[in-house]
Amino acid sequence: MKRSVIVTGAAMVGVAWLVSYKVTPHTAGLASALPAQSPSPNQPSPSPSDPGSPSSSPSPSPSPSPSPSPTGANGTFTGSDFPNRFGDVQVKVIISNGRITDVQPIQMPQDRAQSAYISQVAGPMLHDEVIQAQSAQIDIISGATYTSQSYAQSVESALQQAHMG
Amino acid sequence: MPVTVHVADAGVDDSVLDEVFADFTLLDGVFSTFIADSAVSRINRGELKEEEAGDLVLQALHLCRQYERATDGYFSAWLGGRLDPSGLVKGWAIDRGCSILDRHGCENFFVDAGGDVQTRGMSEGGGPWRVGIRHPVQKDKVVRVVLASGLAVATSGTYEKGDHIVDPHTGREADELLSFTVVGPDILQADVYATAAFAMGRDGGLAFIERAGGYEAYAIDRKLKAKRTPGFDVLCDAISA
Repeated sequence: MKRSVIVTGAAMVGVAWLVSYKVTPHTAGLASALPAQSPSPNQPSPSPSDPGSPSSSPSPSPSPSPSPSPTGANGTFTGSDFPNRFGDVQVKVIISNGRITDVQPIQMPQDRAQSAYISQVAGPMLHDEVIQAQSAQIDIISGATYTSQSYAQSVESALQQAHMG
Repeated sequence: MPVTVHVADAGVDDSVLDEVFADFTLLDGVFSTFIADSAVSRINRGELKEEEAGDLVLQALHLCRQYERATDGYFSAWLGGRLDPSGLVKGWAIDRGCSILDRHGCENFFVDAGGDVQTRGMSEGGGPWRVGIRHPVQKDKVVRVVLASGLAVATSGTYEKGDHIVDPHTGREADELLSFTVVGPDILQADVYATAAFAMGRDGGLAFIERAGGYEAYAIDRKLKAKRTPGFDVLCDAISA
């Protein structure tokens, strides 16, 4: 069972990196369902001390960070061809200042397969979202009891200052 | 605490719903810290010993001890030296209500107590039950809609600034969160997890839910930003404006 961990980093300050990679279907199990590394024109070049991981070699553990950088986090993309029974998967990872700021699916398997895939891959890549305020049709509402008017008011004014209200 | 029982199956007698509400009233009478005569209030005043308080109390406290271990103390019925099992009893009561409905052959229903809900089957429209997660500030809005057919949804939290949750391990306030919603198969577990995770703070709580397995979570912080476990989005309806 092959596993791979994606360790990312950027040695350059303030630059957003765009990476895309692709996996192809395979019949093996979920545990190895992580994206393969495919060199693409957009892939950032690894730091100088790392010759780069060949796509056929399995990487059972995270790559060590080769060299320190002023921004702190540093590392290389690693990956290997790995089985994915769910279908073609392609994601776009956006990194800024050594941190992953977003992971966007380009192609994903459907429904539960997607959920299982996401759980395997994107576990460490949780990201924030600004919450929506929807007037949706619902049967039930779940939420803590709202008790403080003044707190809501102060939150709303803070949001206005942040131009988010 | 408002309790709603909604059965979509045809031909269900009112007496079945009465039985569910009666069980809630029974549990309230035993466990509520707001009722002076409840067993829990009497235990807290030293008038009654836990082990002499009857089967319901014994069962509940046994469950509380198990969950205290399972959550590494982040859920506890004995915080601050005072007995308060309400974090567990709410989910337990909902679960008991569902068992009553099961026994009467109901298959499509939900039981909702104070914003925590266990669903089964489908709504009258033939689709999953639509469970909105309340917006912490705009109280007539929701932030997400969970599509639940057999899932439970539990949300812990407070929109009251003065109501501080304390991390039982450090004594410090775990004050990053406004609300923490847990979705999964069982309401009792979801309820306890939501309570425990809230005390762990946003990232700790989400990591705990992921490690536990089988449950997903959505955490809203005081800046009105949310983080969720990776499998949460697929449980929800598409976001519309």
